[in-house]
Amino acid sequence: MNNSRHRNTFSQLEIRQVKKRNLQSWFLSMPSLIWLTAFFAVPYLIVIIYSLLVSDIYEVKFLFTLGAYREILSGAYFKPFFLSFRLALITTLFCIILGYPVAYLIARSSEKWKNILLVLIIIPFWTNFIIRIFSWRIFLSTNGMLNEALLSMGLINQPLEIIRTDWAVIIVMVYVYLPYMILPLYSVIEKLDFTLLDAAMDLGASERKAFFKVTLPLSREGIFAGSILVFIPALGAYIIPQLMGNQNSLYIGQIITYKIKNIPRNWPVASALSLIMLIIIAVILLTGFSIYQKRKFRRMDEAR
Amino acid sequence: MRRALEEIRIEHLTKSFDGFVAVNDVSLTIKPGELYSFLGPSGCGKTTLLRMIAGFETPLTGRILLGNQDITQLPPYKRQVNTIFQNYSLFPHMTVYENVAFALRIRKLPNPEIDARVREMLQLVKMEDQAAKYPNTISGGQKQRVAIARALINKPKVLLLDEPLAALDLKLRQHMLIELMNIHDAVGITFIYVTHDQSEAMSISDRVAVMNQGNIIQSGPPDDIYERPASIFSAYFIGDTNLIPAEVTSIEEDYVDLKCQAGGQDSFEIDSTFNIKPEVGQKLTVSLRPEKIAVSRTKPTELDDINVIKGVIEDILYLGTHTQYIVKVGNLKFRVFDQHKRVYFDEAALDWEEPVWLFWHDTDSWLIDEVTPAGLDVGEINVFERPIQMSRGGKRIPRSE
Ligand SMILES: Nc1ncnc2c1ncn2[C@@H]1O[C@H](COP(=O)(O)OP(=O)(O)O)[C@@H](O)[C@H]1O
Ligand SMILES: [Mg+2]
Repeated sequence: MNNSRHRNTFSQLEIRQVKKRNLQSWFLSMPSLIWLTAFFAVPYLIVIIYSLLVSDIYEVKFLFTLGAYREILSGAYFKPFFLSFRLALITTLFCIILGYPVAYLIARSSEKWKNILLVLIIIPFWTNFIIRIFSWRIFLSTNGMLNEALLSMGLINQPLEIIRTDWAVIIVMVYVYLPYMILPLYSVIEKLDFTLLDAAMDLGASERKAFFKVTLPLSREGIFAGSILVFIPALGAYIIPQLMGNQNSLYIGQIITYKIKNIPRNWPVASALSLIMLIIIAVILLTGFSIYQKRKFRRMDEAR
Repeated sequence: MRRALEEIRIEHLTKSFDGFVAVNDVSLTIKPGELYSFLGPSGCGKTTLLRMIAGFETPLTGRILLGNQDITQLPPYKRQVNTIFQNYSLFPHMTVYENVAFALRIRKLPNPEIDARVREMLQLVKMEDQAAKYPNTISGGQKQRVAIARALINKPKVLLLDEPLAALDLKLRQHMLIELMNIHDAVGITFIYVTHDQSEAMSISDRVAVMNQGNIIQSGPPDDIYERPASIFSAYFIGDTNLIPAEVTSIEEDYVDLKCQAGGQDSFEIDSTFNIKPEVGQKLTVSLRPEKIAVSRTKPTELDDINVIKGVIEDILYLGTHTQYIVKVGNLKFRVFDQHKRVYFDEAALDWEEPVWLFWHDTDSWLIDEVTPAGLDVGEINVFERPIQMSRGGKRIPRSE
């Protein structure tokens, strides 16, 4: 608004300078543009093209068709989609329930303890992902440590069949994705003004009510960020269901892999499945953000 | 909204943090409906005392009684006491309306009742038209009002205010101070007001407790503390004063003769009425308020009951409502306030380094039975050679040639 008043007072020199600056900013943004084109746009273009082709035994035939989409929309892949969503949802929920108290505890500890605890949260990342999953297999297996311990304590008479169930998948999913929930939650809770809790209690709220009326709503941003970080990768999970689950409940990540791995290969269906996943995730993210933004703007509008 | 009022009795309250005693054996009684202030320098334990009354800190020893009920161990949410926090602590995720409604929502009152009471409160603090705004979009003064409405809506028996005006600028502070007094009159409940600003405490309070290092030094109505300070600390902290070390030389029926040391061999004699029972030879401190001293280049003629001493003007500070002179008597520096009235003295303005007479009525000095200021760091605040305070704003009169 302010600029428009001054626009016609630009001299030739200034215009030249602005042009030069535009050129500079183009030049400086080149690396990221190249990066995005090479690693995002081109691969997805290939995926889009492949999803429109016809499958052959090993490769594809360059005939354009919507066959892959028709196959998917006929409902043949409803179950893996459903399982994947259920898994992502349960994983996210457990991560919130388990992660929140931990994040809260870290945020309220003394400076020294904060750093120690944060390092402890991050340490698992230093160990190879596959090795950590195999450790869980050993731990949860029929003759594994967990069962032996429970048996020797007399808590159970027969070994629990955890390994190769959906529960085994959920346990390891939660284990792997928990830090992604804790860290954003921590950063939000740490900034929270805890005298607000005093204020709530002063006004008659018990500790529990103060938590639900003040602390929890004020950590919404952390829950939102953590949920995105957990939900989206959990939706496409492949390795954990593959190593911990069973072949009766196949998740979408596994289906996509099988479509490519098993002969005859079906590149078009795998590509189309990936794209549909991408669209679903994009829709979820965009609705999430727009609800969030709307709330923020409403807050600002009402203030006027 | 008046309700049965109850007095607050604080008995031998002590609180320490890791061995550091923040509040030391404090006892006091606050009358129903009173506006009572805790006044003291930063770190003297005012907030800690207030937080114990609110229920956020548990005292080490002692009791707090509200009426006949011992509330010492009650959690904050079970006390009929509400607080206005130092930084207001409004809930940022709620509108002004919801902030004010909070206490009633917790009690799950029916919506129409909540609405009626919130509107009433917002009206009391003149914020009806801001109900839909969020705290981060209103000004400091408005936040203050919301905090007051929020704290009062639950009809507490006592309202605690922790330096409520400290975050506001001077003009707004004076305005809000009057507003707070009006609100106090309107709701009629007991207010406990914490501040480090003596002028604030003086103007708003029914009674003041002067605190230092966790102790209550003196309590009483503001004028009482100002006119009759019980210790050097009170005299120093409330208002400006001259503190003169003195020794009792003789005692008459209604006054004492005092010999005041002015450094080295210098000394001068004054008379004073006495408020403590002095003994001959006793060493004490005389407190003499700057506005009670007259300054003139001519010696007063009427000398009955008047002390007259001779000094030299060392500094002149024009302060609008009055001029402050620093007058040197021996090694002592007297602070003298002279109002700009030309009714009494038909003389030209006093000048730098001019010899002058200081005189005051002997009922205007006040004896304090202390030689060294208890609780005051003498090194930090040299009682007898205090720096000139510019706090009230003023312009130094330049030395004329
Ligand atoms: N939670 C606490 N832990 C340790 N020391 C504290 C705590 N609260 C207050 N103190 C100490 O107690 C003293 C009094 O503090 P406070 O009551 O806040 O003073 P005031 O409000 O008069 O400025 C200060 O020295 C402060 O450092
Ligand atoms: Mg304080």
